[in-house]
Amino acid sequence: MNNNMDYVLDVKNLSTSFISDRKEIRIVKNVSLRLRRGTTLAVVGESGCGKSVTVHSIVKLMPKNAKVSADHVIYRSAKDGKEYRLDQMEPFGTEMRKLRGAEIGMVFQDPMSSLNPVYKVGDQVAEGLIQHTGMSKAEAQKQVLDMFRKLGIPDPESRISDFPHQFSGGMKQRVVIAIAMICNPDIIIADEPTTALDVTIQAQIMELMKSLQVNDHKSIILITHNMGLVAEMADEVCVMYMGRVMEFGSLEDIFENPSHPYTQALLRSVPVLGLAEGQELGTIPGITPNPADLGPGCEFADRCPFCQDRCRQKDIPRFEVSPGHYVRCLKFDSFQEVD
Amino acid sequence: MLSFIGKKLLQMIPMLLLISFIVFGGLQLMDIDPISYMVTPDMAASAENQEALREQLGLNDPFVVRYFNWVKDLLTGNFGYSIINGTSIANIVRTRLPATFELAIIALILSSVIGIGIGILSAIRQNGIIDYVGRVFAVLGQSIPQFFFGICMVQIFAIKLGWLPVNGRTSPGASGLGDAIVHLVLPVLTMTVAMCAVLMRYSRNTMLDVLNSDYIKTARSKGIPEWKVYIKHGFRNAMRPVLVILCFRLPMLIGGSVVIESVFGWPGIGSIITQSVVSGDYPVIMVTTLMVAAAILVASFLVDVLTAALDPRVRLGE
Amino acid sequence: MSSQTSVFEQANKKHASSLLRKNIRKFVNNRLAMIGLICVVVIVFTAVFAPLLTSYDPNKISLGEKNTSPCMEHLLGTDNLGRDVFARVLYGGRVSVFVSVMGALMGSLVGMVLGSMAGYFGGKLDMLLVRLSEIFQTFPEMILIMILVAILGQGVGNLVLVFCITGWMTTFRMVRNEFLALRGETYVQVCEAFGMPKAAIMFKQILPNVLSPVIVSATVNVAGFILSEASLSFLGVGVPSSVPTWGNILNAAKSVEVVSNYWWLWAVPGGVISIFVLAINFFGDGLRDVLDPKQQ
Repeated sequence: MNNNMDYVLDVKNLSTSFISDRKEIRIVKNVSLRLRRGTTLAVVGESGCGKSVTVHSIVKLMPKNAKVSADHVIYRSAKDGKEYRLDQMEPFGTEMRKLRGAEIGMVFQDPMSSLNPVYKVGDQVAEGLIQHTGMSKAEAQKQVLDMFRKLGIPDPESRISDFPHQFSGGMKQRVVIAIAMICNPDIIIADEPTTALDVTIQAQIMELMKSLQVNDHKSIILITHNMGLVAEMADEVCVMYMGRVMEFGSLEDIFENPSHPYTQALLRSVPVLGLAEGQELGTIPGITPNPADLGPGCEFADRCPFCQDRCRQKDIPRFEVSPGHYVRCLKFDSFQEVD
Repeated sequence: MLSFIGKKLLQMIPMLLLISFIVFGGLQLMDIDPISYMVTPDMAASAENQEALREQLGLNDPFVVRYFNWVKDLLTGNFGYSIINGTSIANIVRTRLPATFELAIIALILSSVIGIGIGILSAIRQNGIIDYVGRVFAVLGQSIPQFFFGICMVQIFAIKLGWLPVNGRTSPGASGLGDAIVHLVLPVLTMTVAMCAVLMRYSRNTMLDVLNSDYIKTARSKGIPEWKVYIKHGFRNAMRPVLVILCFRLPMLIGGSVVIESVFGWPGIGSIITQSVVSGDYPVIMVTTLMVAAAILVASFLVDVLTAALDPRVRLGE
Repeated sequence: MSSQTSVFEQANKKHASSLLRKNIRKFVNNRLAMIGLICVVVIVFTAVFAPLLTSYDPNKISLGEKNTSPCMEHLLGTDNLGRDVFARVLYGGRVSVFVSVMGALMGSLVGMVLGSMAGYFGGKLDMLLVRLSEIFQTFPEMILIMILVAILGQGVGNLVLVFCITGWMTTFRMVRNEFLALRGETYVQVCEAFGMPKAAIMFKQILPNVLSPVIVSATVNVAGFILSEASLSFLGVGVPSSVPTWGNILNAAKSVEVVSNYWWLWAVPGGVISIFVLAINFFGDGLRDVLDPKQQ
């Protein structure tokens, strides 16, 4: 069991569905993933593929009409060496709240709306710290100042008492990262942290996150649809489509040896500098299906060039094409099937 | 902040002048001999007296001069006289305003506490039992005519059960707090129900919007308890738009509710407005209009100050 | 090229008709909205076909039969002048519904025109109109209506005009905001570059985008005006008392004697008004769910 401590987060068969109009729509289906301590796991896929829902289900920040189930969701804390079963906790109970913020920090997509407009940024960052450590406001302010310095927010002494609307987008996202980091959590979950930012600012924020991972030994789950970002940041990659993990493997596995037709299509559609003349950027034919209308079998079947009849018959199992590299496609049914 | 308040106060003056100018102009257009509302009727009795008075009152002066004289009169508390029964309008206002104020302020406070409270609770427990009951109540409150609800209350509690007086502010001959309170119950209840319905719906929707915003998710991701999320992050932000609505209810303290005062024979400004519209008592209508307009200006001033106090984006400039 | 466009057009049409079908299904599935619609239709029908449903003249005074309680002859009794209440409720519905529907339609029309102009031209005109709408909106509605009645005088036509003047603001705001948002869209700029007349751009290209919320708010306004008409006539400043309307019937309830002794004189019209307004509100809510799911 000891080597299990390598995995700070272990999710097995997580499923989430939403109840809408008395119908149950499955958004996330049997997702299994593991986050290795001190590494970055990128979850990629086009919008609406269930990436965000997956991580929000893990930390149980879901609206009331959502139904989440899982074989297990285990968090292994480095601080006390204990295992926590997140799937057995009440979403807003004390146990879960003790982990949220303290052990698992979150950075959201849009820094413009992620900060409460009526409170000073310093107080917003300190709030979690005071909650989890019970320290005084003055002590907390001191730590916030240190954090601001570390994250490269200029003139922290005066900016700490500014309001969110006085910050630029990039600076706001640094404040959001400060909120996520202030309690020194093991895991940071970043849900498209740069999508709403300018390209140059994007690079700065990503560099910041990378340095946090390397220097502070944080484990990061990065949700993105930007394959370039994945190539730069990730150690392992999880490719999702319509709520399912289509392929999971190391960065090399995914980029050097993409196996699932969807991953291949996704990589073909990334623009590369110096695209040869006459070479066209690939597109994925067809449109993303409505999750309510999906039939049995592979979710990608309608858009897949290799689709066969058997693809549409039942759920596709995972095959391990090389150690740690899993693909959910019948093309690889000669390999070992894993659950 | 102080200079902000000062600036807003100064901005009210031209608005007040504009509104009073419109009202005065309207009064001139009404084709009533001004002499009939500027002096007491017995003074205007004889014809030669009238001519002298005209000169003395400056009625032969140009329009603008007359306007400024009128404003001066208003400022010194001379509101003119009713053309129907010749009573001084200042007197009418003085006797009627306390009744309206009493009724409106109690209903305002009650409906704010109940309406906002239930609205916020139903947003927090969306689709729960409070939300459901509250929504039914709100839709009924917005569909049943106020006066009909009032009549039903009178029929049940005053006529059938005989617990409460049918109308009026006091019983003849009786006095004291107890008498005042039993007279207040039904009109306050009717007014509160009507005002609650809108407020409940509005504060529920505002709070729902706030609870769906990203910063609530951020707050939750910090691991703070839910009640803190609701109060500190939710309520504080939902409060601003709700307070704006509340402020614009304040003119009711001056104008009253015409319908409810009429149903319960409440001797307030609202019933005076009804009477003057029925009888065409234009000077009274104009003065009450001016009062309500002034109250609106004060209310919108309050809104500006409150939003600035509650929202740093406004306070510190864009 | 042309074959391609026609394919697109067909696809669009197919999409539109399936959307329409989906919306109708959604509306029919909303039980409250359907009940509302049925109530509205039934009440409007009884008002329109009043002469077929009762043989009484709503204004025929027969002092011999005053204040009779409901019986076979007079289904809902008679009032203090012996007029048949059932007939008065039926005929009264005609005027009440007509005034409020016309008021709402005219108000929406004014709101749409002013909103289009404010949103499209912007600048000083916009500022002026927004200010004006704010003043109208903050003035206590009942007092504003009464002042206008005092200036214009009582009457069915004048009441429609008063409702039109007091009911344009919500539509105005919606239309103006949508225009502000759409004014910068490429398709509008393309139309301008083609030299399309401004009026055509405003009313044919931009306005259709806001029609759904405008329809919803007009529906809600009908409910509000029914209540306003009733309140005004109850106070005796609405439609002249010689014309039967739901509010005018209720005017009798101003006397304590009527309230305590002759329940049918106030409970019946009051109940009809409440049911009708409730039905319109349910119908409007259902319509909003279908047409304008953004704002609930």
